[in-house]
This record gives sequence, structure tokens and C-alpha cells, in this order.
Amino acid sequence: MTPPTPLRVALRTSLVVIVVLAIQLGIAPGLSLFDVQAELPLLVAIGAGISTGPDRGAIIAFGTGIAYDLLLQTPFGLSALTYALVAYAVGGMQDSVLRAAWWIPVTTASIASSVGVILYGVFGTVLGEDLINLDLLRIAAIVGLLNALASPLVLPAVGWAAGGRGRSMPMRAVYR
Amino acid sequence: MALSRRTGGRSRLTIALLVLSSLTLLTLDFRDAAVVQSARRGAATVFSPLRGAAETVSAPFTTAWRGIADYGDVEDENAELRRQVEELQGQAVLEEEAAQQLGELLPQLDIEWIGDIPTATARVIAGNPSNFSHTIDLDKGSGAGIEVGMPVVNGAGLVGQVVLVAEDRSTVQLLTDPDFQVGVKVLPGGATGTARGQGHGEDLLVDTGLEDDSEGLPRTGDAVTTSGLELSAFPGSIPVGTVADLRETGGLTLELVVRPQADTEKLSFVTVLLRPVPDP
Repeated sequence: MTPPTPLRVALRTSLVVIVVLAIQLGIAPGLSLFDVQAELPLLVAIGAGISTGPDRGAIIAFGTGIAYDLLLQTPFGLSALTYALVAYAVGGMQDSVLRAAWWIPVTTASIASSVGVILYGVFGTVLGEDLINLDLLRIAAIVGLLNALASPLVLPAVGWAAGGRGRSMPMRAVYR
Repeated sequence: MALSRRTGGRSRLTIALLVLSSLTLLTLDFRDAAVVQSARRGAATVFSPLRGAAETVSAPFTTAWRGIADYGDVEDENAELRRQVEELQGQAVLEEEAAQQLGELLPQLDIEWIGDIPTATARVIAGNPSNFSHTIDLDKGSGAGIEVGMPVVNGAGLVGQVVLVAEDRSTVQLLTDPDFQVGVKVLPGGATGTARGQGHGEDLLVDTGLEDDSEGLPRTGDAVTTSGLELSAFPGSIPVGTVADLRETGGLTLELVVRPQADTEKLSFVTVLLRPVPDP
């Protein structure tokens, strides 16, 4: 199968990001659990890392973060910074763990989501937002759970959009 | 091996460039660059229909989910409301006397009546868009005369301040936002200070500069209103909350814990005070 052209990847990725942002802003607040909502743009960033590796994953994550930052009143660039680093880290891990059993990407997404929330809190605090407290751990844990539930929908969508490497690999754990 | 090393080097260069770009954007934002605000206004305007469509389509599901996830809270709230109704029925007979006392107190407290300020009533069309954001979106914007900096209230008191305005939509920073600050006055003592938000569902903190042995210390239950000092974006006498606690700070001064009057978690309609925002 020939890989999709860069233009097609850009269009598909933009489409997925727009849909995810619409869901994040329009639907996720109504589906909160203990007053915490899923962070779907962060899941897109993680999916980009999983699908395309650290390099392209970080770029897609950065773009997703910028788009999300435009729609929030939090420091502009904070989501972009956090997402790029999370996608880079997840993408780096994918060099060691390629296609895997279904639960490995889900678990990766869950843990990376929690780490991403904590990283966001740390960076936010450095920028004077005062986000490091016990509540941050609670939010991180619930976001990890909610993003894990959303990952079977979001991760394949991001994989389709970004035209990730190894898409046709068998769905079995393969460790290098 | 050489290919892998080259790929790793390129990845590191990519992430370094992205981090630098992020830091540049953060710096621009901290310097209040007009381009950032313009981009945000544009994004809010463009994205508004998509967001509205998502909200409309998902309304039945989100309502059902709230029914499941918040069932316990709804039951508690119902019981609390029943208790309040009974209490209010009992207090109704005292209302007339209370109104008379209020009429006597107002002139003493120099309360500025805000009824003359033009207002725009708006519907809350979106809540917090993320776990770290403390904003709501309204269905009215510059078309209704709303400008950045205008105070937002509801029947209970101060709700927040407008921070972003598009033609038919505006964004309000809630008073619970840790970046939110407002000058306040404690009644009846008259102590002044700055109230700061502490996050979702948290009380406000007011540093009054008062010491333990200061005269006229505020007491639990005292009312807190906006001070309306010169150049403040907020007119005076908007109810902010009530003093829930007094506690010592790291220094010698006391800090007030203030329970907000307005419930920012359950807002349907709010009123924007169309008051010219003073230049800082």
C-alpha cells in the first residue's frame, strides 16, 4: 500500500483535530466524571506519537496544542509545549514497542494522558498559574481513565489521518 | 545504525525547535501581543458554529450522563432546596422588618446603587472547555455592546469579567480563576483588600493586610462586596461573598477565606454591566 501524500496527511489530520476540538469543547464538558473531563486533544497528541513516531508525532501534537490554545484563555503555547513533549516521549517509546496487543496502546494512552496533565500543571505553575496541588493528581488520574475509554475511537482516527508507520502490522505484541 | 543515529538527531532538533516555538508564543502571550488576542477572537468566531452543533447533537447524551454521574448530588441538592424552602417560609414574616433595617443600613454603608448602569443579559452557552480553564462562554458579544473588562454578575453577585469578545459571543473569566483579582470591601467593618480566585469550587482568598490585634477585624459571616475604587473595572457594592474563615498568612497579617455568593458551577443566565472600562 502506498503511503498517503503529505497534503492528504495534512488535510486528514486537520479534519481529525477540528472534530476532536468540537467534541472537546461541545461535548466533553457535559460528560465529566467528578467534575473532570477528558482531554481529547492530548489524546490526539499521544496518538500522533504512537502512530508516527517522535519526529512527526511532536509536530502534529504541537499543531494540535496551538489549535487548542487558541480556544482557551490559558497561557498561549502551554498546551502546544506539553503536547509536543508528550508525543515526543511516546513516539520514542514506540521505537522499542511496535504494534502491540490492543491493551498496550490503551494503557500507553492512559498513562501518557496522566503524565501530560501533570506536566501541564508543572509548566503552568512555572508560568505562575499555581496548579500543583493534590487536586492535580486527582485530575490526572481521572483524565487517564477517561482518555483510556476514548482511545479506541481517537487513536485509530489519528492513525488513519497521520498515515502512521506500521499500520498494516499484525495486532500482536512485537518487542524489539 | 548510522540511519538510526541520524533519525535520532533530527528528532532532537525537531523537539528543540518546537520547544523554542512554544516559549516564543508564551512570551508573546505574556506581553499581551495583539496578534494573540486577534487570533483567539478569530478562532472563537470560526469555531462557534461547530461547537454549537456538537453541543446540540450531544445534548440528550450529556443530559443522560449527568443523570447517572450526578444522581447523588441531585438528590442532595433536592433535599437542601426543600430545607431552604421550609426555612424561607418561616422567615417570610421577618422579611418586612429586615427590609426596614436594610433601608437604614444602606446610607451608613455608602452602598452605590448599580441600577443605573446599562446591562446586557446573556445566556451561558458553554462551560469550562478544559480542566485548567475557568471560563464560560456567553451568547452575546460586541454586537450587544459587550467589551473586554466588563464585569459579569447574576442575581447572587459577582460572577467574573469579560476577557474575550467576538461579534456574537464572549468569554468570561470566572472569579474562581486563580488569575482573577478584584478589589473588595468587608462590611460592616470596612476593611479592604484584593480577592483572588483559587480554582473550581474553591473559596476566594482576601489579603486585607490586617493584623491579629487590628481594630474592627472582620468576622465570620460578614458580607464582602466590590470596593469600586477609582480605576477599578468593577463598580462598588456588587456582592462577592461572605467571610467563611480568618487565618494567618506566613507573615503577621490575616487572610480572609470568602465563600463566593454566586455558584459559578451552575450558571444559566448572567448580566454583563455595560460600563466603560477605565484605562489602567
